[in-house]
Amino acid sequence: MATVNEAPRFQEDAEGMRGEEMILNMGPQHPSTHGVLRLVMNMEGETITRCTPVIGYLHRGMEKVLENRPYMGGIRYVDNSEYLSPMICETAYAGAVEQLMGISPPRRAQYIRLIVNEMQRIASHLVAVGTYLLDLGAFTPILYAFRDREGILELFEEVAGSRFTVNYMRVGGVLHDLPVGWLQRLETWLDTFEKNWHELDVLITGNEIFMTRTQGVGYIDPQEAVAFSLTGPILRASGVNWDLRVQRPYDAYREIAVRPVVREEGDCFARYMVRMYEMLESVRLIREAMAGLPGGPINTRTPIALRPPRGETYFAVEGSKGEYGIYLVSDGSEYPWRAKIRGASFSNLFILPELLRGNKMADVVAILGSIDLVLGEVDR
Amino acid sequence: MALEPVQGDFPLPPAPLAHDNAQPASQGRELLALLATMARDIGYPSAIRMLPGGFPASDVPAAALVATSRYLHDQLGFHLLSSIAGLDMLDYRQVVYHLNNLEHRWLLEMKVRVPESNEIDSVIGVWSGADPLERETYDLFGIVFAGHPDLRRILLDDEFEGFPLLKSFRQTPLAVHDHATTQVPPEQAIVGAEQRGVGAQRITPSHLSQVAIEHLHPGVSTFGDDQFHGHEFPPITWKHRPEYRGTGDNMYNGEEAPTPNTENK
Repeated sequence: MATVNEAPRFQEDAEGMRGEEMILNMGPQHPSTHGVLRLVMNMEGETITRCTPVIGYLHRGMEKVLENRPYMGGIRYVDNSEYLSPMICETAYAGAVEQLMGISPPRRAQYIRLIVNEMQRIASHLVAVGTYLLDLGAFTPILYAFRDREGILELFEEVAGSRFTVNYMRVGGVLHDLPVGWLQRLETWLDTFEKNWHELDVLITGNEIFMTRTQGVGYIDPQEAVAFSLTGPILRASGVNWDLRVQRPYDAYREIAVRPVVREEGDCFARYMVRMYEMLESVRLIREAMAGLPGGPINTRTPIALRPPRGETYFAVEGSKGEYGIYLVSDGSEYPWRAKIRGASFSNLFILPELLRGNKMADVVAILGSIDLVLGEVDR
Repeated sequence: MALEPVQGDFPLPPAPLAHDNAQPASQGRELLALLATMARDIGYPSAIRMLPGGFPASDVPAAALVATSRYLHDQLGFHLLSSIAGLDMLDYRQVVYHLNNLEHRWLLEMKVRVPESNEIDSVIGVWSGADPLERETYDLFGIVFAGHPDLRRILLDDEFEGFPLLKSFRQTPLAVHDHATTQVPPEQAIVGAEQRGVGAQRITPSHLSQVAIEHLHPGVSTFGDDQFHGHEFPPITWKHRPEYRGTGDNMYNGEEAPTPNTENK
C-alpha cells in the first residue's frame, strides 16, 4: 500500500497554454471498485494521463498464515483469498497438496468437484455481470443475478454447511457426499436458471445504452493481454484461446470436454459476453457431470496430519477470474515451507494503467467493472 | 462504433475440441531437449528436474537470468508469465518463475538463486506482467530487482519495517504505537502500556515446522518433553519463550509485562 505523493505537474499544450494537471482519487471507498481499491488518476481535463492503482488495504498476510497451518488447515484460509469463488480456491489448494503427495481423488470426488466448481463459476459470473450493470447505471440486473445466485448458495449450504467459506474440499477428495435429493434440487435450479439466463440476456444484451458504453471501450489486443499475464475471461475476450480446463485439464475435466468461449473483439462488451456464455457452458458441464456421476468413495481417507514428501510443485486451476495457482514447497513436515497464491485478479488489475491512459473519466467505471476484480485475491 | 442494438443473435461458442488429453510423452521430451540446448547456447550447466505434476524445473544462475528469459520468451515461446514467488531457504533466497507456452501447453518453472548482494535482474523487459509481481516479491522478501523502474512496497505500508515472508521475521506485532488512532476521542483511547499489555496477551506463539525449529534452534529436540521448545506445555504467550527473554530485541527485555492500566476506563 504505497502512497502516492506527487505535486501537480504543469503541462504545456500545443499553443503554449499551461493547464494544471488534476489528481483525482477514486476509492478506496467507492462503490464501483468492488472492495477497497484506490486509483490515483492524473487528469488533463476529462482525459486520464496516468493511473496508479494503490492496493493492500485488504492484505492479511495469507501466505504467512498458510505457512503456519497444517496442510488440511490451510484449505479453509484460501477461501478468503478469492472470496467470490471459494470452491475453486479450495480445489486448487487441495489439488496442489495431492500433486505433491502423488495421490489422486476418487472419480466420484472429482465429479463432485467439477459440479461445485462450475456452480461457483456461475455464481461468480452472476456477481460480475450484475454489479457491472449496476456500475453502469442499470439497477435491475443485479436483482436478477443475485436471485439466481441465491439458489447456488443454498445448495452449497446443504452440501457443505455454509454459504461462502465452504471448507468443503479435502486433500484426497471432498468432505461430505451429496445429500439425498440434492441432485434433483440442482436439476430444478438448472432448469430455472436457463430460463432466467435468457431473461437476463434479453434484458442486457442489445440494450442500446449498454452497447454504446461498452463496445469499443477498453480494447486489449491479444499480444498485450498475454504480455501482461492476463488470464481468464479477459484473455479469452481478446481472442486468445487459453483455458486451463481445456489446455491443461485436471480432475474430471480430463473426461468432460469444455468448449471454451472465445471472442475476438477484446473490448468491455466482449468480456461481458464471454462471462454470459461461460455460464451456459457451465450449465452444460454440470448436466454432463450429473449424468455421468460415478459411485464409490468420495475421499481417499487421507489422515488429518499430512506429511507430504520434500519437494515443490505448482498447481493451477481455471478460476472464475483466471488462473488460480498454488505454489507449494514442502520440507517434509506438517506445515508447508512456502505456499504462494497466484491470484488472477492481481495480474489482471495491473493492465489498468495501460488501459485507462487516454480514456475519459466516464469510461473508468465501465473498464474497471469489465475486468471483474476481487480485492481479496489482489491483496491476499 | 456500431450504435445499432444487436438483438441476441450471436455466434455460438466454437465446436468441441478433439479432447486429446493424454499429453504425448514426446512433447515433454522435446521440451527437455530444448532446455538442454538453451543452457548450452547461453553457456551454463543445465540442471533440469522433473517436479510432481510432471513439469520441468530449470535452475538458472542469476547472471544468466535475463538472457535465459529472453531465450525462453523469443525462441521457446513462453509468452505467459504466471507467477513470481520468492522463497526463503534460510541460508539463501530464491526466486521462482512459472511460465506457460500457450502453443504447446507447456508449463515450466525457472528458479534463480539470489546472490549475496540480494539483488537480481528484473525481467520486465521480457514480460511486462512482471512489474507488479516483482514489486510484491520485493515487498514480502526484500529481494531487489535491478532495473525495475518503480520498485516500492505494494501490499504493505511504506513505513512497514522488515520483510514478513522471511523466516527470520518475528511473528509478533511489531508496530504497537503509543498514539491512539484519530477515530476515537482522546479520553476513550487506549494508549501506551495498556495497549501493549492487551496486545501481548492476545498473541499466541507461531508453530514453526519441525525442520524450521531444528534449523533455527539447533540442539532443540522436537520430540518428547521438549516438543514445545523445552516447555512441558505450549507456552501461553510468546514472551515466555526462552529465546525471547533478555535478548534485547523484544518489547520488555525480559521484564514482567506491565499491568493493564484501567484508570482511563
